[in-house]
Amino acid sequence: MSLKETSIPKFCYISNGKIWSNGAVWYADETVPFKQLMKGAYKQGDVNYPKFFKMDRLSKLAFMASEVISQEAPFHEETALVFANRASSLDSDRKHQHSIQHQEAYYPSPAVFVYTLPNICLGEISIRHQLFSENSFFIFDSFKAEAVQPYCNHLIATKKAPAVLCGWVDFDSETEYEAFLYLITNNTISAQAIQQLYKKHHDST
Amino acid sequence: MNQGVAITGMGIISAIGNDVASNYRSLLSGTTGVQRVSKIDTIHRDAIWVGEIEHSNAQLEAALKLPKDHNYTRTAMLGLWAAKEAVADAKITSDAMVRTGIISATTVGGMDMTERYFYEYLHSEACRKYIESHHAGDHSQKIATALGINHGLVTTISTACSSAANSVMLGARLIKTGRLDRVIVGGVDPLSKFTINGFNALMILSDAHNTPFDQHRKGLNLGEAAAYLVLESDTLVKQEAKKVYAYVSGYGNANDAFHQTASSDHGDGATLSMQKALEVAGLSPRDIHYINAHGTATRNNDLSEGRALIRVFGDAVPPFSSTKPFTGHTLAAAGGVEAVFSVLALQHNTIFPNLNFESPMEEFKLRPETQATERELTHVLSNSLGFGGNCSTVIYSKATPS
Repeated sequence: MSLKETSIPKFCYISNGKIWSNGAVWYADETVPFKQLMKGAYKQGDVNYPKFFKMDRLSKLAFMASEVISQEAPFHEETALVFANRASSLDSDRKHQHSIQHQEAYYPSPAVFVYTLPNICLGEISIRHQLFSENSFFIFDSFKAEAVQPYCNHLIATKKAPAVLCGWVDFDSETEYEAFLYLITNNTISAQAIQQLYKKHHDST
Repeated sequence: MNQGVAITGMGIISAIGNDVASNYRSLLSGTTGVQRVSKIDTIHRDAIWVGEIEHSNAQLEAALKLPKDHNYTRTAMLGLWAAKEAVADAKITSDAMVRTGIISATTVGGMDMTERYFYEYLHSEACRKYIESHHAGDHSQKIATALGINHGLVTTISTACSSAANSVMLGARLIKTGRLDRVIVGGVDPLSKFTINGFNALMILSDAHNTPFDQHRKGLNLGEAAAYLVLESDTLVKQEAKKVYAYVSGYGNANDAFHQTASSDHGDGATLSMQKALEVAGLSPRDIHYINAHGTATRNNDLSEGRALIRVFGDAVPPFSSTKPFTGHTLAAAGGVEAVFSVLALQHNTIFPNLNFESPMEEFKLRPETQATERELTHVLSNSLGFGGNCSTVIYSKATPS
């Protein structure tokens, strides 16, 4: 294998009704709402994990992207998770907000409230794959591989984690969502290469 | 590099006292601070018991000499109160050359004011100043400013009930690796409707005084507190000829990948965090002389933590107790409160009692200490186990491990 081949990690990209695995469309249905897209992907991947249907939309997005990658490269229990996004948990925050907006109609739901933190999706993935590893969730303006690359490289170089599932999971609305997750297994991957990979998908969808 | 992490100051305000000395007296005399709630107007008033701090917001404002138009929440006021005691206790003379930081933990942030003014924000200008103090980091910044920490690291940790233990851990790591010379670590959470109603919805609030590790435990009592330690490097201690109370010798944090809120029934996370802490301290289980357990008295925590204790210590579980019956469960502050109690235990060679214990749990034979007992203590282990399985352990030692 050439250096170029080894330096591209396994990755998954999701946006606008399409799910890509390593550059190829893995599942797509651009005509249905997000919820149906996820249901279709769940069936496509033969996931068999009923807890999936209780998750909020951010967790479903993150979960499905990680699922696509793990089907190709199963995670070790020390695989670290380093995620980021822009909208934090706003999608669930808004839902919670609506339930408490009016004093006379005040019905918050614990099932919604529990998702009013962005890093809950890291927990969902950890529970699914039994990861007892380091995890972090950052809030950035946009996806920047270089912002987390030194951290990921350090985790691998110091043997704190054999691999890092890294990337971007952002859910703002039915029409504005995007996931780009990639699995780093060695510290030779350049942030620029990852940024280019992201840009290619981001610009084409 | 690899500096020892010395504790040179402590401060606390809790339901059992407004300073370290009064907390210690209550612990020795077995005086609980858990009572009926008096400062929060809640429909659960007669159904729950809480560990409430004596001072009202007005008393705190006056004592802290806050200006009239301030936007301190109760979180910031309690935090500043305890942090001031810690800094005074450490006899810190301001020195710009000492790299000083503060790491404070909270779960509710400014929610105490937000829940009061939430519906008013839309039409009343006067209360909007509290919108800016809502976020978790506000209290840390206010404490830093009030203490004159203008250049160092100021950060906030919010990992549920393990929060303050994690701020001790992060602070210790920053000292150990030479990034800071001095750091104030701990946490604060006031009582609020937010937590009362939230924990009530989870059905884990007891309608009686909490009884950790008891077969008939009915859940937790919430409490409010702030507690901080001053951590300093060996070099600084030597330079300034500081008196050292104890050392942070080990720490560990783990998640148990089990559930969004509950801890694993087998204590996977707590087992990992205790093992990691022992490893960092270079100690074996038999070196631990006392465990200040998390012991919230919920069905889930005590079963999970008890099983973890057995997994780590086998049939030689050291004397242990939960001090939650004194203070209530102070959430993000718990790891700070129990850090102060662990250091007091080392200083006075005293194990504090687990009040209200009667019957051992059916799952195992563990019996917490029920009397204040004098015993030579060298290493004390403190657990703080958070919702979602964020589990932390800190080990406090009389001397720095070689």
